[in-house]
Formats: sequence, C-alpha cells, structure tokens
Amino acid sequence: MDTVTAAGRPGTDLPEAVTQDTGTQDTGTGAPVITLDAAGLTTRAINSALRELPDGTSVVIMDPRGRHNLAVGLSNRIDVTVDGNAGYYAGGLGDGPDITVNGFTGWGIGENLMSGTIRVRGSVSQSAAASAHGGLVVVEGDASLRAGISLKGGTLAIAGDAGQLTGFMAQAGTILIGGDAGEALGDSLYEATIYVAGAIASLGADARRSELTEDDVTAVKQLSDRAGFDHIDPQLVTKVTSARELYHFTAHHASSY
Amino acid sequence: MCGIAGLTLLDAGLEPELGALLAGMLTALGERGPDSAGVAVYHGDGQVDVTKEVGRPAEVCERFAIATKRGYQGVGHTRMATESAVTRAHCHPFTPAEGVCVVHNGSFSNHATVRRRLERDGIAFDSDNDSEVAARFIAQRLAQGDDLRQALTEMAGAMDGFYTLLVTTPTEFAVHRDPVACKPAVIAQTDGYIAMASEYRALTGLPGIKDAKVFEPTGLHTWTR
Repeated sequence: MDTVTAAGRPGTDLPEAVTQDTGTQDTGTGAPVITLDAAGLTTRAINSALRELPDGTSVVIMDPRGRHNLAVGLSNRIDVTVDGNAGYYAGGLGDGPDITVNGFTGWGIGENLMSGTIRVRGSVSQSAAASAHGGLVVVEGDASLRAGISLKGGTLAIAGDAGQLTGFMAQAGTILIGGDAGEALGDSLYEATIYVAGAIASLGADARRSELTEDDVTAVKQLSDRAGFDHIDPQLVTKVTSARELYHFTAHHASSY
Repeated sequence: MCGIAGLTLLDAGLEPELGALLAGMLTALGERGPDSAGVAVYHGDGQVDVTKEVGRPAEVCERFAIATKRGYQGVGHTRMATESAVTRAHCHPFTPAEGVCVVHNGSFSNHATVRRRLERDGIAFDSDNDSEVAARFIAQRLAQGDDLRQALTEMAGAMDGFYTLLVTTPTEFAVHRDPVACKPAVIAQTDGYIAMASEYRALTGLPGIKDAKVFEPTGLHTWTR
C-alpha cells in the first residue's frame, strides 16, 4: 500500500486513510486510482493532497459526509470523484480538474469555476456555479434558488428544475434548464443566455423571451449531448435574454426605477 | 449565522437516543453558532424540558448531559449573536407558551415595531432579542385560535426579515423559510424520524441517513404526530 505525501508537510506521509489502489477502481487507462478516506482527514489535508497530484491522476474521496470545501482551488488536470454527498462550495475556484459528486451538494457547487467540469449525480442547493468564469457544471437532479447567479462565462446545465432567481445578474455564459424554472428567472440579466425546456413561473426584471435561432438550437443540442441529457428537444426550448433596459441609470427615468 | 437542529421521532425505539442524536447534531453545527446553545426535549405526554446556556455548543451539551435525555421530539439551536446580547435570556429555544418552542436563524428588521404592538396587547418579554418577538407573535396567534400553519403565515406577513424557523408544539413540527431563503435548511425523512438541520453535515450521524429522503424545503412545511 503506497501513500502520497501531504503538500506543505515535507516528509510527512498522510495517514493510512490515503491509499493507492490499483485493483478495485480501474479507470480503463491502466493508471492507479488513489483513494482518500475523508473520515480520517482534515479538509486541508484532502485538498493539499489533491493539489500535488500529477495531471491524469484519478482520485476518489470516500465518506465525505457533507463536508464543505472539498476539491476547491485545484488547477491540475485530475479526475476527482466525491463518493457521497458534499457540502458547500465543492469544486469551487477550479481551473482544470474534472469532478464528479455521487450524491447531492450544498450551496455554491462550482462557485467561481474557471475551467474543467463538475458533474453532480443528484440535486444541488443554492447558488450553483455562482460567478463561474468558465468550465461546465452539470446537475443531474434539480437546482435550488439563484443557480447561475452572476455567471461570468461558465456553463450550467441542469437536468431538472431550477429555483427562484436563476440567472440573477448573470453577465456571460449559458444556463440550460431541462425542467421548469422558478419565479423571477433571469432577473437583472446582462449578457448570459438561458434556455428552458419546461415551464417558466415568471421572468425577472429586464429578462425577456427571445427568438430561438438555428445557432441556439445547435448550442442546446451540443450542450445536452455533452451533459448527457436525452430529454430535451432543442427545437422546443424557450430562450431568455436581457431586454437591456436596466443597463444604465437614466436620470429622466428615475421615477420608474 | 446560527444553526438549527430538530428531530421528531416516528420510531419510539429511538427515544432513548434522542438526546445523543441531538447533541451530535448541535456539535456539528458548532461553527454556525459558537456563542451559545439550547435544547428543548419533548417527552411523556408533551412535557418540555428546555436547557440553554452561553458557551460553545459541544461544551453546553457536555455540561448539561444532553446526550442522556430521552424523548420523542427535540429542538436545538446554536447561536451566533447579531442582533442582541449574548446572555442566557437571549438564547434559543424561546418558549412563548406552554409546549411551544421557537428557534430562528436569521434576523428581523421590524422587531421593535412588532414588539411595541405586542406590548400594547399586554405581552411581556424576557429579552430584547428579535427572535423572541417572532416567538411571542406566533404564541399570540395560537392563543387567538390560529393553528400553527395559520400563525406562521400571519407571522410572515407581519414581520420583515430573513428567517429559517423551526417551531414545535407537543404534536407539531414546522419549518418555515422566507421567500428569499438565504438562511439554509435541509430535511431528512426516514421511517424512524423527520430531521431538520441548517446543514446536511449535521444529519450524517443519524441512523439510516444514507437511505433517507433528503430535500431542501422552501416556504412552510408542517408535520403533525
């Protein structure tokens, strides 16, 4: 049984909770899969260990028990599986890794993501992909309120329903909702684009339904394929964009604000 | 911040463990409310024992042997004071009427106005805590004949602010969140219990949690035993 060394603690081996296992979790590439048992490690030890792994490594975090801040701030091209439910900010600030959560997550999954992918095989709490600049967050279940808030260029694909204020103040990027959208969709939207396959409870301030172009249909199809969604007809989604009436404060319209 | 934990048991076989389960939940929520903690335990025919004190939640649970308490329903709170002083009187749960317990995560902005209105109706307060105003308001509505659902709906209309509330009576368990829902809540249901906590990690020590139905509530949810 080999061990990996915790970053920032030269010469200090992590506890036995960190193991390399070449037999039970083969990714098909022949590369070993590293297993981290969260129950025996601090969050800092887990994230430090992940940060030191070479590109191409696969790692499984076992027994996460809703732990916050798992796999945050990683810039290496590794493949991380969180085998259970994660807490807040899983995969946040990521700039490279591909992360899968076999469960549900708390607030802020993929917050401020820069690149890479995050796939949640359950539902997510509030503020999914908040402020994400790049990368892809896929939610196979539902997303709670304020999904994609302040999105800055990232992509968020939700198979199920999305809660109130999804896309609030989203500036750039794409949100695809495979189910229904809650109230105030796209409130104060800037230049992000939202596609909804189901019903929209209501649009937020300055959000409007827009004409679906062939480019949109292609984009929805490609994103659905990438996300693994097979329940969305790209021809039938509703496109929501900004009406661009709240971009600037206009003094002589002050009474209408 | 602040942390909320609640547990209403459907399996009477778990009643000897109620205190230990609640203590575990509160300890997990220690970071959300490091200045004080409180627990209410319902047992017997609806009697309620309330324990609350200033101090770190794990220490309060240890000092008052919360883990040894038995019962069929429990409510816990860890407090990070934002609106009023850190004293025992300001700790949750608030018990504004016999059998009624209220714990709150959030803040109310118009509590002084509502407090003056309630004081004109002759209602006395133990503290200047904003959450106590909500508790007294709910108790007044219950005394006037509202059921719990009506009382909580009226409270939402009268009080302005952010809240996740857990309100219990000897037979009811209610979770109420404001529409903006910026204060967290997660619920887990099994055949053995209904559990509510501010964060999922506080639920991970409960028996059978891996097979529980877990969801994030919005609006008002009530359960009656």
